[in-house]
Amino acid sequence: MTRIARLIAIAATTALTLSKKRQLQRSPAATGALVGQSRTIVTAARRLNRASGMIAGSVLIDSAMEHYRGNFSNRAMWTPLATAAMTIGASAHGLGDRQHGAHTVRDTIYSTAGAVGLVGTAFHIYNITKQVGGLSWQNLFYAAPLGAPAAITLSGITGFLAERVRHNRPGTPELIFGYPAGQVVAGGTALSLLATSAEAGLLHFRGAFHNPAMLLPVTMPPISAALLLRAALTGSAGRMTTYFVGATAAMGLAGVVFHAYGVSRNKGGFKNWRQTLFAGPPLPAPPSFTGLALAGLSALSLIRRARRG
Amino acid sequence: MAEKPSFPGYDTMARRDTQSWNEPTRQAIDARLSVPREPRFFTVEEWDCADALCQLIIPGVIDPPLVALLDAALHDGDGHGTRTQTVPYRREAWRQGVNALDSCARGSHGKPFAQLGKDDQSALLETIQRGEPTAGQWGAMEPQDFFKRCVLGDIPALFYSLPQAWNEIGFGGPASPRGYVRLELGHRDPWEAAEVGPDGDSDTVERKNRHVV
Amino acid sequence: MWSDALNAPRARDGKAPDVLHQGGWVEMREYRDTEEVDFVIVGTGAGGGTLAARLAEQGFSVVAMDAGGWFRPIEEFASDETAQEMIYWNDHRVTDGANPLTMGGNNSGKAIGGSTVHYAMVALRFRPEWFKSRTLLGYGADWPIDWREMWHWYAEAERQLSIAGPLSYPWGPKRGRYPFRAHELNGAAKLLAEGAQKTGIEWTETPLATLSAPYRDANGTSPPCVYRGFCRFGCSTNAKRSSLTVFIPRALAAGAEVRDLAMVGKIETGPDGRATGVHYHRDGEWRFQKAKNVIVAGYAVETPRLLLNSANDRFPDGLANSSGLVGKNLMTQSNSAVWGRMDTPVRSYKGPPSLAISEHWNYDDNNDFHGGYLWLGQGPMPIEWAGVLTGAKGLWGDALREEMRDYNHMVGVKMVGETLPNEANRVTLADDVDQYGLKVARITFSYGDNDKAMIDHALQQMRASIDAVDASDIFDQPDDNCHLGGTIRMGDDPTTSVVNADGRSWDIPNLWVCDGSLFPTVGGVNPSLTIYALALRMADRIGEMSKRGELYRCRM
Repeated sequence: MTRIARLIAIAATTALTLSKKRQLQRSPAATGALVGQSRTIVTAARRLNRASGMIAGSVLIDSAMEHYRGNFSNRAMWTPLATAAMTIGASAHGLGDRQHGAHTVRDTIYSTAGAVGLVGTAFHIYNITKQVGGLSWQNLFYAAPLGAPAAITLSGITGFLAERVRHNRPGTPELIFGYPAGQVVAGGTALSLLATSAEAGLLHFRGAFHNPAMLLPVTMPPISAALLLRAALTGSAGRMTTYFVGATAAMGLAGVVFHAYGVSRNKGGFKNWRQTLFAGPPLPAPPSFTGLALAGLSALSLIRRARRG
Repeated sequence: MAEKPSFPGYDTMARRDTQSWNEPTRQAIDARLSVPREPRFFTVEEWDCADALCQLIIPGVIDPPLVALLDAALHDGDGHGTRTQTVPYRREAWRQGVNALDSCARGSHGKPFAQLGKDDQSALLETIQRGEPTAGQWGAMEPQDFFKRCVLGDIPALFYSLPQAWNEIGFGGPASPRGYVRLELGHRDPWEAAEVGPDGDSDTVERKNRHVV
Repeated sequence: MWSDALNAPRARDGKAPDVLHQGGWVEMREYRDTEEVDFVIVGTGAGGGTLAARLAEQGFSVVAMDAGGWFRPIEEFASDETAQEMIYWNDHRVTDGANPLTMGGNNSGKAIGGSTVHYAMVALRFRPEWFKSRTLLGYGADWPIDWREMWHWYAEAERQLSIAGPLSYPWGPKRGRYPFRAHELNGAAKLLAEGAQKTGIEWTETPLATLSAPYRDANGTSPPCVYRGFCRFGCSTNAKRSSLTVFIPRALAAGAEVRDLAMVGKIETGPDGRATGVHYHRDGEWRFQKAKNVIVAGYAVETPRLLLNSANDRFPDGLANSSGLVGKNLMTQSNSAVWGRMDTPVRSYKGPPSLAISEHWNYDDNNDFHGGYLWLGQGPMPIEWAGVLTGAKGLWGDALREEMRDYNHMVGVKMVGETLPNEANRVTLADDVDQYGLKVARITFSYGDNDKAMIDHALQQMRASIDAVDASDIFDQPDDNCHLGGTIRMGDDPTTSVVNADGRSWDIPNLWVCDGSLFPTVGGVNPSLTIYALALRMADRIGEMSKRGELYRCRM
């Protein structure tokens, strides 16, 4: 645990150092005519904070379990736990924060999470290539999973976008790097959903899609992603998009129940939890979809608001 | 040659009431450990000879004594059901075998096998193992084949059916309904034996093995 | 309690054990002894169990008998080498010849489900050329079946058994995807792979008849493998896909009767020379079941033993034996191994023993011997491992006990090698009688020069592979044998074979054989999948023949 504490300390120090250098325009919510829009901006940002936290929560539990299974044989295996924990902290903070303007510490944590995920992915790729057989199905199925660290990146990106949305001034169109915020978030979420769906697809293929429900995470999220992409490109979205993205959010939660059923079908069921929780389908994995879908919903409301002017 | 692996503090029986053991396993091991300690198949003289033989093949303090397991196995059944031209079915082979061993000992030393010194006993077994002539009456049975099929075939199998032996070699032991999760080379499930070296120094390993359940 | 399974028959009074449910029973149709059923099947392993299911599913009336007990794996199988001896055929037998075969756990089961209750689940296809080895490769005898036809039945067997295998198989013609994904490799398998890679030969995940994901069908559910490693001592998880867990439940559901503890001692023939039924021992008495057809599926020792024990005035040399070949051409598969010690703990007792495989030498013809071999990863349990050390090194005393302490560090690979058919290797009857008063089998076997040359070659190659992973203290285990084959050769010519391609006797048209004894050659792969495939094919052929009116007094 000392390792985690040290990591957090380093991250926090870095964040504080950075915050001194950046000019922040944090202000309480505006008054008068701008109240409505102001509230919307903050609400959209908080939703994205929540989405980021949801994904990070999934990552925290999932990586804790998987790396415990791997006996924490490498010190770096503590990193995703620390990062995800900090991201959850940042997201909880963001959720409670009703002010405008990006928060430097949160920004730093989110950026760190984004970077850690990339480094982790590189690490997992390295782990796979050094296994006998290299980039084979065997290793894609059973060695360090490629998609898992990417989920931290996704939580980081979602959080980062939350800060960008929050950084908009009331009375101006919500933009991220000069582009309409809703569309940027929708686009990012769509790509993230596709990546997560690919990961689920790989692991469900490993399980030979033995239960028809296992097809859901490789069909519903891609459809949602396609609808979100269209929204991102056209700047408008119909009800169908909201339904599908909402259903994807629900699917992520239902996935926990399905996975629990999967665990129970392993020998010894939950009584044999020290084996089946690890050998069976991972309970904490599906809520990543919920997190991403929440980001998508937030994007959709931004898009609709932008259209209303 | 590096020092042999050791697993201080490891006790397979500590998992008896966990998910690693199912009911048939508990029954089988309980029955094995409570095997009757008196002859039912062998005569008293044969038992003594077989006992000395068992202690030579697997030396050390063993509970239950292997001769008791051997006697019980022969009492209950005829073991692996094949005979060859030179070794009869198990019951007959063992009966003949221990009597022949005694006759060898009497022939060369004037007393039964069990009363020979360890060195003389070992020397006799080595003679048989090499296929050299002995002073005993073996009938149609080939001593070397008896040694290979029955002595080496059966006695070590009795020892390595005991939790005591599993502890000694760090074997995971019974595993049902719970099997294993960490299949990777060098990885250890928390319910597997920790080994001095790969899993830490002697004290660490002993501490770890206390939590192997 | 498993001993109950041996005390008295369990399948009776219209119900049979449901091995897929704890304490479960399923309804079972029953036939009277005097009722002339379409088929009585002797043996319920990969051949008999599969046929019972497929014939009953086509509407035939079927009674399948097995000398063994009807065990309930999930509630009666212990995780213990010794306690599980009850699933092997340990009845009396005589072995002789220059290399008396080791019988028991490697090749002889005695239970409902036969040897598939204890098999290592390795599910491989023959190399296509082996079906014409005489013509194409210059040794052995040709099979009367074309490989392309077998390819179809292999795929069918793999589908019905939910085989877990690699996405692409490196050797032989293309095959479809295995129904389930390959299992995770354990340490021993990874080392086999590494050795293969470093010595420049191909390897892959072994296709296995054990589930890598949960399974469900109309008869029940099975969980995936838990990697407990006791596969060859019976699978208490029920992840193992065997005759016991797959085909017997199907047979019962389709209306077959399956009789446990039913030892068939003699096949009766009538005045017309046709088989009329079987004498069997059950519940302490000899009984006679009438049947229109008799199928013998007792494997390469018990099948010829039954045909020979059924000799009568009309067939003094045993049934189906006008060729004189019943019992002849017994083959085994050489099972030599090379072992070494790794610095890292391998703990090869975890997982199915043979998770990785190299079939390289089955597909290389540039050798100075005929036939091929493969090698598989190994996961010996402690008693087996002690047997390796006493057998190969002659260790005992402190030396044995000390060396046993390296158990967790040992790694090895073991060959499954083709031996060539030779009429001198055979099953005959000994004068000893068993507990039923029946003459026991005498099993005569000696390795030929070709077999020995192959073993030498394999030892050398396996040594190179073990050496390549930097193992120390490498040693050979030269003497071991496993699966059997031959003894009831199938062929195209009544003078050089006992039965035809359908397993049907040339002499007695309502007498059939379906098990590994049909194999004209054994090839260098584990035989179970080929037996399943032959049984599926045979059931299909019987259905066709029945429709064409080519079955004796039996028409659908």
